[in-house]
Amino acid sequence: MIEVKQLSHQFELGKKDKKTVIPVLQDVSFSVTKGEIVTLVGRSGSGKSTLLHLIGGFLPRQSGAITINGTDVSNFTEAQFAEFRLGTIGFIFQNFQLIQSMTAYQNVELPLILQGVSETARKIQALETLEKVGLKGFEHHYPSELSGGQQQRVSVARALVLNPLIILADEPTGSLDSETEEDLLHLIKELNDSLDITFLIITHDDEVAKIGHRSLMMHDGALIDQEVK
Amino acid sequence: MLFKDQLYFVRENMKKNKMRIFMTVLATAMGTAFLIVLASVAFGLHDTLIKDVLEQETVNQVQIYGKDDPNSQGITDEDIDYFQSLEHVRAVRKQSYLRQSPRVSLNGYETSPHTVAVDMGALETGGTPLEDGRYATSSDEVVVGYHFYEQLLKEDTDPEDMYDENGERIDDTLYQGAVIGETIDLTVSRLINETDTEEKTYQVTIVGVTAEPANEWQQDQTLYTTFDFYQSVSEYTGTPGGELYFQEEPMDLTFYYDEVTIQSNNLENIQTLTKTINDEGYYGYSVASELKQINMLFTIAKAGLIFIGAIAVIIASIGIFNTMTMAVTERAPDIGIMKAIGASPKTIKQIFLLESSIIGIMGATIGTLVSYLISFLVNIGLPMILEAVFEEQLPDGFQFSSIPWTLVIIAYTICLLVTLISGSRPAKKATKIDVLSALRREL
Ligand SMILES: Nc1ncnc2c1ncn2[C@@H]1O[C@H](COP(=O)(O)OP(=O)(O)OP(=O)(O)O)[C@@H](O)[C@H]1O
Ligand SMILES: [Mg+2]
Repeated sequence: MIEVKQLSHQFELGKKDKKTVIPVLQDVSFSVTKGEIVTLVGRSGSGKSTLLHLIGGFLPRQSGAITINGTDVSNFTEAQFAEFRLGTIGFIFQNFQLIQSMTAYQNVELPLILQGVSETARKIQALETLEKVGLKGFEHHYPSELSGGQQQRVSVARALVLNPLIILADEPTGSLDSETEEDLLHLIKELNDSLDITFLIITHDDEVAKIGHRSLMMHDGALIDQEVK
Repeated sequence: MLFKDQLYFVRENMKKNKMRIFMTVLATAMGTAFLIVLASVAFGLHDTLIKDVLEQETVNQVQIYGKDDPNSQGITDEDIDYFQSLEHVRAVRKQSYLRQSPRVSLNGYETSPHTVAVDMGALETGGTPLEDGRYATSSDEVVVGYHFYEQLLKEDTDPEDMYDENGERIDDTLYQGAVIGETIDLTVSRLINETDTEEKTYQVTIVGVTAEPANEWQQDQTLYTTFDFYQSVSEYTGTPGGELYFQEEPMDLTFYYDEVTIQSNNLENIQTLTKTINDEGYYGYSVASELKQINMLFTIAKAGLIFIGAIAVIIASIGIFNTMTMAVTERAPDIGIMKAIGASPKTIKQIFLLESSIIGIMGATIGTLVSYLISFLVNIGLPMILEAVFEEQLPDGFQFSSIPWTLVIIAYTICLLVTLISGSRPAKKATKIDVLSALRREL
């Protein structure tokens, strides 16, 4: 489902004459098969988020190759990647990234709008997805009127609403207390079971790592261990 | 993304900052109104002038001044036959001026009128109607102008006694009797040698009076007679048209027309007709060709005023640029989220361009409505002010300002174009927003 080959990445800082190069990823190769939950662990600054951003197309690829669902996305333009991402990849962020001026319903409806789905079909799909994540009755709440756990559920619903093949999550439980975290992990497991969605989850948390079928360990921009449970 | 949804997005976004949008729309409306009102003056005056020209009875005429032929002395019957054979010709009016003013005496009143020999038949078809009576049918019948009676003076009155101290004609001195059916003595003179003259009196009957001229300032005191009469005067004096000129040798008395006017059956054909005639070697002139120049002049004036007005719209567009740039900056986090989900740069650009065009359309619409109001008020108010200040009556139907739909379309196009251009940079900026920086709230 996800295939990464010899991916390297470096950031350049400073002006032309005093440029410093920070190597972040070195020759990262791994693959994730359909229906897997893979967790990505490692010290802070080891390059986990950078790897996820490259897979998601938020950063321009420098070297190496990425194939997602059989499509080589290595040379996609920004516009091509946007279109590809819309129907294939869902994102969950640590700090939810909801649009504050929109209700829970409107946030979940957004991917459907971008996809060009008609208003009636949108309504059915968005409400159904909100119900799936247990937010029935909260449709018209704004993010500021929801708890952290509820907000993260909205963002899960948003990632889910277009039936993606893959969901990429960057520390999804990072802002949640342990009880809410458990609920969310439960939800992820359920979605993986019922919909066969592939998950790639960055985490610092052992509880999260437990739900994964497999865990990847990053250290200083390289994968050092592929632990299979 | 459906257009309907883009529109919904834009509406929601605009609602978030009503005051700023309102001010921007206001500036655009003012720019558009300035453009339209300014240009409407050229349109209004042009319309007034064109209407004025078109109302002249001479507008569908071609006047013939002569012929580009060294052997030709003037227009003859042969030329007239040619004119009559042309397409689109309704009538050919022709006349010759008597080269002296004969003395007229009617029931003790006298005058020496300007005398013109005309084709009575063409007068009838050519649009010189009669007030009363009929057209002359023989050389001892004449038609007089509407104001002919005003110049008749009682024999032996001092012209000084005709006017009161204000310079107004004293009514009592006017000829009061009948005109039509009266027989007048028409006396012409000739030189029999270098100094001595001799006279001959014709007795002719007034059979008709022409209608009052269309314009108040026009006076028609002419005596209209026939070409036969004209020729008989020529033969009597031995000079063309009865000119008071002595020569031993007998002169060539071939008859030429002094003035020939070709009337077209409709205005559209007048230019083709003029061209045909001029190509044939005649000197023809029509007011219609003057219209062409008037049109050209006003086209330049309109373009100039539209250009100046467009500058106002461009100044207003700075506001749009500002508003859109601020909108993009404010919404950068939301744009980042939308891009992260999968909004294409094209979609983002379309939404912002749509927003600036809506501001443009709203501005142009309000500006147009206001312009119509201003134009209406100017057309009512300005003549009143001018009449009050200068105590002068403006002609009927005079309009300063006119807004045809073409001007509205031009203003809309300029306004939309300018708003699209000024909105395109902010829109482009929106598409360039980096997802990760936006999500980190760095922008
Ligand atoms: N835009 C950037 N410009 C320069 N350096 C960057 C940029 N983004 C990340 N880095 C650097 O790349 C390295 C890896 O960062 P990354 O965010 O991938 O780490 P991480 O493993 O996700 O850490 P954490 O667990 O704290 O989120 C860090 O040293 C960081 O300073
Ligand atoms: Mg990180």
